[in-house]
Amino acid sequence: CQGPGVNGDEDRKQVTILGVMIGEQQEKIEQALAPFTEATGIEVVYEGVDTFATTLPIRVDSGRAPDLAMFPQPGLMADFAREGKLVPLGEILTPEEMTEAYDQAWLDLAAVDGTVYGVWYRASVKSLVWFNPQEFAANGYEVPGTWEEMMALSQRLIDKGKTPWCLGIESGNATGWVGTDWVEDIMLRTASPATYDQWVAHDIPFNDRRVENALDIFGEITQNEKMIYGGKVGALSTPFGDSILGLFTDPPHCYLHRQGNFIAAFLPADVDDDQVDIFPLPPIEEEYGLPILVAGDIFAMFNDTPEARQLMAYLASSRPHEVAATLGAYISPHKNIDLNLYPDRLTRKQAEILNKAEVIRFDASDMMPGAVGTGTFWSGMVDYIGGADGTQVLNTIERSWPR
Amino acid sequence: MTKAVNKSNRTNNTNRKTEFWQKLPIHIAILTIAFIWTLPSLGLFISSLRPRGDMLSTGWWTVFWHPLEITQFYLGNYGDVLRSSGMGEAFLNSLTIAVPATVIPIAIATFAAYAFAWMTFPGRQLLFILVVCLLVVPLQTTLIPVLRVYAQLGLAGTFLGVWLAHTAYGLPLGIYLLRNYIGALPKDLIEAAAVDGASHLKIFTKLIVPLSMPAIASFAVFQFLWVWNDLLVALVYLGGTADVAPVTIQLSNLVGSRGQDWYLLTAGAFISMIVPLMVFFGLQRYFVRGILAGSVKS
Repeated sequence: CQGPGVNGDEDRKQVTILGVMIGEQQEKIEQALAPFTEATGIEVVYEGVDTFATTLPIRVDSGRAPDLAMFPQPGLMADFAREGKLVPLGEILTPEEMTEAYDQAWLDLAAVDGTVYGVWYRASVKSLVWFNPQEFAANGYEVPGTWEEMMALSQRLIDKGKTPWCLGIESGNATGWVGTDWVEDIMLRTASPATYDQWVAHDIPFNDRRVENALDIFGEITQNEKMIYGGKVGALSTPFGDSILGLFTDPPHCYLHRQGNFIAAFLPADVDDDQVDIFPLPPIEEEYGLPILVAGDIFAMFNDTPEARQLMAYLASSRPHEVAATLGAYISPHKNIDLNLYPDRLTRKQAEILNKAEVIRFDASDMMPGAVGTGTFWSGMVDYIGGADGTQVLNTIERSWPR
Repeated sequence: MTKAVNKSNRTNNTNRKTEFWQKLPIHIAILTIAFIWTLPSLGLFISSLRPRGDMLSTGWWTVFWHPLEITQFYLGNYGDVLRSSGMGEAFLNSLTIAVPATVIPIAIATFAAYAFAWMTFPGRQLLFILVVCLLVVPLQTTLIPVLRVYAQLGLAGTFLGVWLAHTAYGLPLGIYLLRNYIGALPKDLIEAAAVDGASHLKIFTKLIVPLSMPAIASFAVFQFLWVWNDLLVALVYLGGTADVAPVTIQLSNLVGSRGQDWYLLTAGAFISMIVPLMVFFGLQRYFVRGILAGSVKS
């Protein structure tokens, strides 16, 4: 155990945090942490880096771990927890305090081998379809409640010579993750949550028939050139942040776009509030209902100092979540957040969808080993959308799973 | 007399004309290569002057279809980058890192290069080979061990730590470059100085350093550019908090967690380019002088 900070600063109480939020998001989290400093006099030094996944292991391995780290996915946190580098949350909060703050589903996501390590700070809701309600009203389209209705609407649009979907999966060296989100969402809607968990844990092979089934359903959209604006080439070459813009062109390039809540940051400034709306990606098999695919940011503690403990307890309280909620572009995974705190209609609706969800599951690619989750699963989606055979794609991913 | 002058003028002219025609292909080739080489930078520069919506909908070359329309150009990207909090501090940090991290390796490398080239001591070649071998060691492999040592010495998160790291990473190339240059200086000159009773230090300061200015200047540009553009070393040894973060970290944070503000990078690139350009043009006269030195007998 190394002493916190450098000598000489011992009388100045502080907690260091390494996180992924940068830019505008960093300013917001600093505002959410400000009440803590006001109340306790403990200074919080937040350092945001966009190379978090490489920077943090270097710091930890060289003995300079931050007091707290904000992980963009629980997979990396689990690695550190298994190495014994993290302090279990149970040493800071009682189980009652935890269940008071978070739903069991979120606590399960924060647990590694049965022990809870982290405090969830931000949630992303991924199972959303974005559309332009003005266009829907003008053409008499209705928001689909089931997958069949959604595909029927798509067909109707094609019959009229229009393009139903905008899809863009280009994302630099992370190209393909949009495709993995699609498959995960469909997987949740065509298989049980338990099967999904087995798939993530590799208890069933990646080329299992249920995964192939999900990929085939995705293929009904991607393998049909008329379904996507720009066809396969358009899907592969359009940056994910730009593809949503097709909803608002005149005439619209497309009418539907599936993407997480964070895409709101890419909406052009001249889009009015009544031009954009969302509905949850509809259910496919009735028995599995309407599950929601999520992602999120979670805090965990490396250095066991009294100040860090206080900050962890503060992060599990509703106060920072409330502050962040009022600042916008943020959804809290916390239980006790008043929906009216969210500043805009869309965020409120997203939080409502999240609260109502009976089943939530974390983004599978974020939980799988890096070689698959941020490697072959991504590249496999690129191949598949590019026209490769689905079975072969799944076999390739299965072979790449580290043993 | 006048006839003779006229005649010589005419031959001069025809000479020049044939020379022009002979060199034309070379000139065309050079201009074409230079044009292709600068094209991406030009595109980036024009993009930096366009609003995000335009960048998304049309290519940068479309500005040439109506180049006189001033309203299509837009300085907002530059304004956004410059106004973003911490930009001034980041420039100061970058300078604080880059200036010593350029000066220290130059000083050490020049001394070492002289020793390798002109001083005889046992194991000289072996040591030099060792230094050259260091050229192929990827610096990424050193990050964790060095940071561990730094953490124990209390150097982690300090500017001194980054200076030392950059010095060490830059030295192999610097010694290699300078040794080759200094080793190629005329032997007679150094022997004459030695015969006249000049010590090694005197030969170094009075002869080697002035004569090696072109090589030192080119290494200075290399090293400065490398340190100025570095993100990884600074991020690992210094960290990314506002009080120490250089321009590169500040810029990479500017695009936002989802990369939604990517368009600001166009302007950011040109803003961060200003200082290296000043360094380059400031040192350029040394290149020119170095090339001309000794070309004419006086």
